[in-house]
Amino acid sequence: MELLVLIKPVPDPETRLRPNATGTGLDTDGVKWVLTGYDESAVEQALLLKEAIPGSKVRAIAFGTAPRTEEILRSALALGCDAATWVERAADASVDPMRAAEALSVACKRTPFDLIVVGKQALDDEAGLVGPAVAERLGVADYGPVVDLRWDAAASKFTFARAIEGGSERMSAPTPLVVCLQQAWNDPRTAKLQNVLKARRIAIDKVALADLPAEIKSAPPGTHVGAFRLPPPRTGAKMVEYKTPEEAAQKLVQLLREEAKVLP
Amino acid sequence: MSGPVLVLIERRNAAPVRPSLEALGVGRRIAGPPGTGAVVAILLGSGLEPAVAQVAELGADKVLTVTDARFDVFHAAVWSAAIAAIAEELEAMTILVAGTSNGRQLVGRLAARWGAAAVTGIADISRAADGTLSVVRPVFSGRALEEVKVDAPRVVLGLRPNAFPPPDPSDSKTPVEAHAVPELSALPALGTVTGFEPAQSGSGPDLSEATVVVSGGRGLKGPENFRLLEDLAASLGAAIGASRAVTDSGWKPASFQVGQTGRTVSPQLYIAVGISGAIQHVVGMISSRTIVAINSDPNAPIFKVADYGIVGDLFQIVPALTTEIRRVRGN
Repeated sequence: MELLVLIKPVPDPETRLRPNATGTGLDTDGVKWVLTGYDESAVEQALLLKEAIPGSKVRAIAFGTAPRTEEILRSALALGCDAATWVERAADASVDPMRAAEALSVACKRTPFDLIVVGKQALDDEAGLVGPAVAERLGVADYGPVVDLRWDAAASKFTFARAIEGGSERMSAPTPLVVCLQQAWNDPRTAKLQNVLKARRIAIDKVALADLPAEIKSAPPGTHVGAFRLPPPRTGAKMVEYKTPEEAAQKLVQLLREEAKVLP
Repeated sequence: MSGPVLVLIERRNAAPVRPSLEALGVGRRIAGPPGTGAVVAILLGSGLEPAVAQVAELGADKVLTVTDARFDVFHAAVWSAAIAAIAEELEAMTILVAGTSNGRQLVGRLAARWGAAAVTGIADISRAADGTLSVVRPVFSGRALEEVKVDAPRVVLGLRPNAFPPPDPSDSKTPVEAHAVPELSALPALGTVTGFEPAQSGSGPDLSEATVVVSGGRGLKGPENFRLLEDLAASLGAAIGASRAVTDSGWKPASFQVGQTGRTVSPQLYIAVGISGAIQHVVGMISSRTIVAINSDPNAPIFKVADYGIVGDLFQIVPALTTEIRRVRGN
């Protein structure tokens, strides 16, 4: 089974967010870029499948600028991925998630695959566009948000549930397939030091700028971020003072109805 | 003038879902007042009549029905092929999709199929005098806001649930038109639905689309005490959520978890009961309009992100709150 996992470097969740000088994006000065969130879970899912299906290989693919993209690919290799592809992005190129999906599909087309695993969204821009857009470009079915993904060897199909409103829809699907993962592991595996060292020596395949279609390199994407700002700081809760629980309840309900206007 | 704004109406149990109705209101807002730009609602599947009747009262200029049982199961590949073909035919420039599980799965695929730009998670939207669409979307779990400008002529817009009011029903009826089923050739091999398990939350609304969410944490001390929250949730018509501590302990299934590795919710009202407010949890609920925290620890970080706080014993406060809400709501 050939498994691909699409990942992206995102700022460490502990990062203190600041707009950049032009107010059009995150100030990336000093930001640590990591493999985390649904992307980290996607790697975990791919590795669990690899362990469950004999003869499987996992390739991690990421699109982005150096060195952060190479670093998260090395993280994926250290966790147990067998190979990695870096799709090069010019540092000054304007890119949106649809454009990223286009670039990633170029890399996916270069390698045979049975399954592509992708997180339902990245932790930074939360767009959730890449998985479905890649599936369309590759002409394969996509399903999401997926939990409980398993390989049914007897039927030669993947089985999973879509976590949708009102319940979960059980499905089975043949390969090739793109799944957008809802499931996240609170404690995904961590890399052993010896594997971190070993991952440094694995050659990363590269899809160079020259190999990408012209519009990915030069034409502006369909959207751009005009402004990036922080929401007004939360000033802390208005505390309800009370003598009895009943009084607390009455005061709170009054505030919710008359001040916040969230209760009829 | 540009073509119509297409609004996809999703259904569940034959009725249109609320986030789709919210999208209909947004459609009117960006198309301009009636008579300037057209808003076309589109429904796909079989047995569309009850939903059509409801949508026809909500101010669209036309309701299009595409009747075919192949749309009764959601396959992003099938839906995007059909909707892209219809958008092409109608010369639409904008398609609005609600931020449901299906909607979120559809936007990227539909945009790739139709050759359009795409933006998701939209919490606010405006159209400049020159026609440029500009949207606001929370990013980094609500810790920052992006204002995104749409530069492409065609765009698929994914809306955040609970961010826009659904339109009020009016007396005027929108004309309904049956549209031919587009040619659906060259589809990829699709999956098959093998079953459906209703959420354990029972009768309450779903966590991700509820307008009120009541969440419990370690402060509840045990799974049996969730019945306090169930009563409170029932009095409010709320969905129930939980912190990671609760789902990791097995008090509730993982599907209840609100937070970084769980669900992200943005209801009108979020009530955190016995939840300390670890960043892991907060990022999953910070975009809620109003946040209430009930906790025995006055120094709990949850009070920094909440709008209203009660320091006290949740085992006394929560039942009193349930009683008070029942009283004011007259039940």
